[in-house]
Amino acid sequence: MHITFYRWSRYFFSLFFTICISFLLPRLMPGDPIANMIGQSAHVSDATIIELRQELGLDLPLPEQFLQYLVNIAHFDLGYSYTLHAPVSSIIMERMALTIPFVGIAIVIGIILGVPLGALAGMSRSKKTSILATYGSIALSSAPPYFLSLIALSILSFNFGLFPLKGVSATAGIIPWIHHLILPIAVLSSCIAARNCLIMRGSVIQETHEHYPLYAKAKGLTERMVLFQHIVKNASLPLITQVALDVGFILSGALFIEIVFSLPGMGMLTYDAVLSRDYPILEGSLLVIAIMVILTNIAADIIYGVIDPRIRWQG
Amino acid sequence: MRRPEILGSIVLAAFLIMAVAPGTFAPQDPYTRFTPYTPPGSDHLLGTNDMGHDILSELIYGSRVSLFVGFASALLATMVGGIVGIVAGYCRGGIEDLLMGFTDIILMLPWIPVIIILAVFLGPGIWIFILIFGAFAWTSIARIIRSKVLQIRESGFVQSARCLGFPTWYIMAEEIGPNLFHIAFPQCMLLVASAMITEASVSFIGLGDPSMKSWGVMLSFAFTKGALINGMWWWYLPPGIAISICVMAFALIGYSREKWVNFEVRE
Repeated sequence: MHITFYRWSRYFFSLFFTICISFLLPRLMPGDPIANMIGQSAHVSDATIIELRQELGLDLPLPEQFLQYLVNIAHFDLGYSYTLHAPVSSIIMERMALTIPFVGIAIVIGIILGVPLGALAGMSRSKKTSILATYGSIALSSAPPYFLSLIALSILSFNFGLFPLKGVSATAGIIPWIHHLILPIAVLSSCIAARNCLIMRGSVIQETHEHYPLYAKAKGLTERMVLFQHIVKNASLPLITQVALDVGFILSGALFIEIVFSLPGMGMLTYDAVLSRDYPILEGSLLVIAIMVILTNIAADIIYGVIDPRIRWQG
Repeated sequence: MRRPEILGSIVLAAFLIMAVAPGTFAPQDPYTRFTPYTPPGSDHLLGTNDMGHDILSELIYGSRVSLFVGFASALLATMVGGIVGIVAGYCRGGIEDLLMGFTDIILMLPWIPVIIILAVFLGPGIWIFILIFGAFAWTSIARIIRSKVLQIRESGFVQSARCLGFPTWYIMAEEIGPNLFHIAFPQCMLLVASAMITEASVSFIGLGDPSMKSWGVMLSFAFTKGALINGMWWWYLPPGIAISICVMAFALIGYSREKWVNFEVRE
């Protein structure tokens, strides 16, 4: 009971904290609050500004404004972008349609590649392939993801013309969509795989010091059977928590990869919003990303419970 | 010292020397203008960019900014995390629950979007980046330090210091603190690595300090001014490779001190 309560209050406060950041920032920053609320390069008439002041409730005391803000969020109302002339929530929904499949596929591939590689590298550390996997993973995770994308784009798309250079349209159908996304997904999933490989390797090394692998080996199982039938299940527990915590990083990395490949997802949206100082979009994106990270962590908790019965019974 | 650590230290030392005295290594002043878009040649080893600046000199001067941002933000984060970890681990009870609960909350915040949004509001600048990174990246260190302090606080020398009536802050700073160095150090190195990658990413979308050209700012200019489309590899490759090699040096030093990575091939 206590653990469950602690977990849920953690999620609640994390969300609350993010909401506070996006509520307080435009209101406490120096400068005209209206300009802070609608973005600096948005052009609106004086009449609209007076109307906005009323509508946003900027004359009210802060606590009342905060209540209003919470009610709006509960209604999926994240404000209005005066640069793109559309409600923020619908713009973000539209862009998420690209980012979520992109990141989701990359995470799945990253786990499928990284976990067995890391497990093998941790089990037989002295093999040449294991050493290569370890150093390769460190090297991959040392390069900024967007720089890897730049290199991939310049070699494969620009010099060899294997993949398209720019963007993808939403109505193009499934085949062009895949063609446009192969390279970004390859870059992102190899970054994820590298990190998972390192974590899994460390986790397997720790598990090999326990007694049960020794017992399994004494029973006559081969090293590979010990690894995949006994160790991997235990060793992947820390990985689940780590992947869930990494989702924030993975999403942020995906944003930069999207910018390099000019994919019309959350990354391009953020980039354009930064360039045009479109604050409502930036605050909306921050909130949506924070909510996605929290949802992934909840999902990880549930998966953790399914894999590890000790947690389930305790909770 | 293990082999990866030696390798990382040598590479890092080379970058540090460059950062301390860029003037002696750079062939040109980074702000002198030559013929723009010159490919690499005998005059300019790595060519020039759109402004006619010598890229090798820019790269050498940029190491100072990139390394400074990396070190400063990682040190700040290590300090915050260290203090939170020591206080939580030593005081236990309600303070521990409160501090570790707070750590878990911060741990879940996606801080790259937070840095982006704050940099947009406050204007680009390295000090803002250092402060925000320090304010968000301390969580992993706090958790590791706390679990170590939980062990140390029960050991004999801490118990006797307590019996002798030393004040709590003294025990935390003088008795426990020095024993945490070998744990905090590798974590700090890994934080430098992640700070440098984050700085390069944030600079890439135009939120870097334009008055201080870090490697990330160089990459950002190269990308937005069409180095890729025009095939000017000498413009965008060097800063990216410099970031990657430097980050890898930090990662090698950090990882080789971590027990779980276990670089030793023989058991």
